[in-house]
Amino acid sequence: MSQASDPKLSDPILSVKDLVVAYGSVRALHGISLEVYPGELVSVCGVNGSGKSTTLKTIAGILKPQSGQIIFSNKSIAGKKPEQIHKLGVALVPEGREIFPSLTVAENLRIGAFGRYSAKQFTLDLEDIYALFPILKQRINQAGGLLSGGEQQMLAIARALISHPELLMMDEPSLGLSPTMVDTIFELIATLKERKITILLVEQNAERALQIADRAYLLSTGHVKFAGQPADMQSTVDITAVYLGEGKGGEL
Amino acid sequence: MSLGIFIEFSINVLSMGSLYALIALGLVFVFGICQMVNFAYGEFLTVSAYALYALGTFTNLPWLMVFLLGILAGVSVAFFCELIAFRPFRGRSLEALLVTSFAVSVILQRSFQLGISPRSRAVPIPDFFNQTILVFGVSTPIRNLVIIASSIILLIAFVLLMKKTTLGIAMRGAAENFTTARLMGVPANLVILAAFVISGFLAGVVAIFWSAKTGSVEPMVGSGPLLIGFIAVVIGGMQSLPGSVVGGFVYAIVANVLSLTLPTTLLSFRDAIMFIIVIAFLVLRPGGLLKGNYQEERVG
Amino acid sequence: MNSAKSTWTRFIDSKYSTPAILITILIVLDSFVWWLNIPFIEDICTVATITLIMVLGFQLFMGNSGILNWSYAGYIGIGAFASAIFSMTPEFKAKQIPVMYEFLVNLHLPFPLALIAGALFAALVAAVIAWPLMRLTDSVGAITQFALLIVINTMLNQWQEVTNGPRTFTVSMGRITDIWLALFVAVLVILAVFWFKESSVGLKLRASRDDRYAARSSGINIIAVRYYGYVTSAFIGGLAGGLFAHYIVSITAMAFYMGEVFVLLTMTIIGGSMSVSGAFFGTLLITVSQQLLRQLESIVTRSGFEASGTTDIVLGLLMIGFLALLPNGVTRGKELSLSAIKRFLRIGNNRQKQSKGLDQKPSN
Repeated sequence: MSQASDPKLSDPILSVKDLVVAYGSVRALHGISLEVYPGELVSVCGVNGSGKSTTLKTIAGILKPQSGQIIFSNKSIAGKKPEQIHKLGVALVPEGREIFPSLTVAENLRIGAFGRYSAKQFTLDLEDIYALFPILKQRINQAGGLLSGGEQQMLAIARALISHPELLMMDEPSLGLSPTMVDTIFELIATLKERKITILLVEQNAERALQIADRAYLLSTGHVKFAGQPADMQSTVDITAVYLGEGKGGEL
Repeated sequence: MSLGIFIEFSINVLSMGSLYALIALGLVFVFGICQMVNFAYGEFLTVSAYALYALGTFTNLPWLMVFLLGILAGVSVAFFCELIAFRPFRGRSLEALLVTSFAVSVILQRSFQLGISPRSRAVPIPDFFNQTILVFGVSTPIRNLVIIASSIILLIAFVLLMKKTTLGIAMRGAAENFTTARLMGVPANLVILAAFVISGFLAGVVAIFWSAKTGSVEPMVGSGPLLIGFIAVVIGGMQSLPGSVVGGFVYAIVANVLSLTLPTTLLSFRDAIMFIIVIAFLVLRPGGLLKGNYQEERVG
Repeated sequence: MNSAKSTWTRFIDSKYSTPAILITILIVLDSFVWWLNIPFIEDICTVATITLIMVLGFQLFMGNSGILNWSYAGYIGIGAFASAIFSMTPEFKAKQIPVMYEFLVNLHLPFPLALIAGALFAALVAAVIAWPLMRLTDSVGAITQFALLIVINTMLNQWQEVTNGPRTFTVSMGRITDIWLALFVAVLVILAVFWFKESSVGLKLRASRDDRYAARSSGINIIAVRYYGYVTSAFIGGLAGGLFAHYIVSITAMAFYMGEVFVLLTMTIIGGSMSVSGAFFGTLLITVSQQLLRQLESIVTRSGFEASGTTDIVLGLLMIGFLALLPNGVTRGKELSLSAIKRFLRIGNNRQKQSKGLDQKPSN
């Protein structure tokens, strides 16, 4: 596996080219291109409606692109079904967590392990998950809907991790959480990064996301406004202008 | 009420209730997963009943084989309906699915009329089904006890399937949030097909007991169980598997109580009364008796 | 000359040309059939005209609200029985249905009034029960309407003091409805459903069909507009039921049940449930194919094979096929208008000169 500091030594694990996506007649993405290399953490920032979530949903297969390419591990996945894309090793932590509310934590995790489930492997993986998320061990037989927002977010991440994805995509993991919980989540993302898990992170909390990212993209109204080192992003683009200038809705 | 009447009432409620619970379960499996009201469900049962008729009349297979093949017939018709008729409408409006299932139902009914006979055919049933037995001093046909026992076994089997197997858990997850289940790698086609197969299986089991009770099969035989299923499902709350079982029993109780208490002049209005209750439930308590935990999230 | 021409042009391009075309077609068709004077064809045509009224009423609610309205067949039945009870003389009723309630036996209105009274009664029933049901949509709404159909049908089928129960109910000794009356009512109903579609209630109803949440947030009282649509539709259904009862002359409740819904649905969907023109052409197309299929059926049956029921199988397959491939029916959800015909002809004559200038009508 290549080093995060010098990712370009290898081929990108995910490469998106000129992606165009529309909701009905309304275009949400006007030709987005981005790349993720093995082992790196890439942040995609932008305001509400800039196309961040649309990008992730299209990569995951929930939305169908109008045109453009999505190459994952040298295979074209544009327009494939979500379950096929997941099988290739892409896991999404969806926006709003989307826990199965009446299923227990264990059952939620078991759906996460769908397709590669074996009792033995699952027990091993659970130990791993407990190490990362001790709280889930206590809650293991509780219904997912009864967890707090932060616990649900952890469950959502755990549910994605348990499939041993080659690419972990997270859609607004800090949305709607308390400040302490936001800290916990970002610490967790940092831990995952240390474990060399390839992560594509979509965040509205640009400051926090840029702190831990290896590289970053800035989206605005469906275009890529910036791509490069997080540190350069602050200097080359007037982020506040991008954020405030088009921030119709702003933060929730 | 004398003890005898009470025991008879209980046996009736238990045997009818467990049969109705199975009927309702078959409807809810499909509805829960793809929100589809399947009007062709009754015809799954009819196909099974015709298979029982054909196998029982024209072959010398042992009863167990006849029953298993009859159930297999129900499973196959459900399987092919999903594959051929319903799958093309995946992702389209619920109305389109509903209308399609209604059309499939009419097509199947007319095909039975055309291909077999508009008149009813006698379904041979093992003799011991109709022999009576004394239970706490009340004589009742053995089939009632068979129905109760097999329903209990089946219900336990389904609880295990839904709670313990990966497919069952995935189906429950898909019923709550279909897209997210797919994001976790649960194939949409597999889950929906599984729901139809289970639905067809239950229709097949019900067909055995239904035919045992009526002794015959005719092209429209499925419409009765379909209506019962609708009532039970609505009472139980449309989405919930345990709810549908409860709904089946509640329906059996209400129907039996109405039969005992309604004056004969009003007895012919029993269906109307039952469906007024259904409408009242839909209007006042759309979540049913056992309100599923997170019904509200599923709007639109 | 000039101003006359511009009025003409304006008429061609306006939405008023649609009912004018449909009414013209219907009048020409019915008159021609009457002139032919072949009882068999006149019979088909009269029933088709009455069926058209039923389909128009069905489309009025389903097409504009998007809710599958099972109970509609029940209102046709209510209109049929109610208008018959009003129109029959007390002596005739007493003879035909000895068990009938005294006060019903004594009710009597001259025929045209009885027809309207029957329709009003169907609308009244709808008006009384519908309000709480209008909240429900999607599967729940469809099951509610389905349950309601069963309730109405059970009442019609079992209440022997009113409808003679499951036995045949003889309305009169001879036909009362004729092709002209059916035509006259059909013309009025075509005008009425167009008026409804373009009225503010109709517009709001369509808005609620297309986007429930947007409609609600722009201040539309969805329950109210659905309610008006539902009651209006029940009135038209009742009217058609009355005409039907006084044409067929002997009726049973089972004629107004699932089978009827199936036929109405087929016509509406194959024509295109979103437009009145769809209801119109769906009725024509299905009536013609039904007749052809029935002829085939009887030929096959005479040659010794059992073939009854084939018609429904073919119609069912057609319906599924249309739903899958052409979900908006032969009209594609649009209304037929003179400008559309003109455009079509021009494109047909000269493919290069496609008239982009004429504005496409909005698709609903």
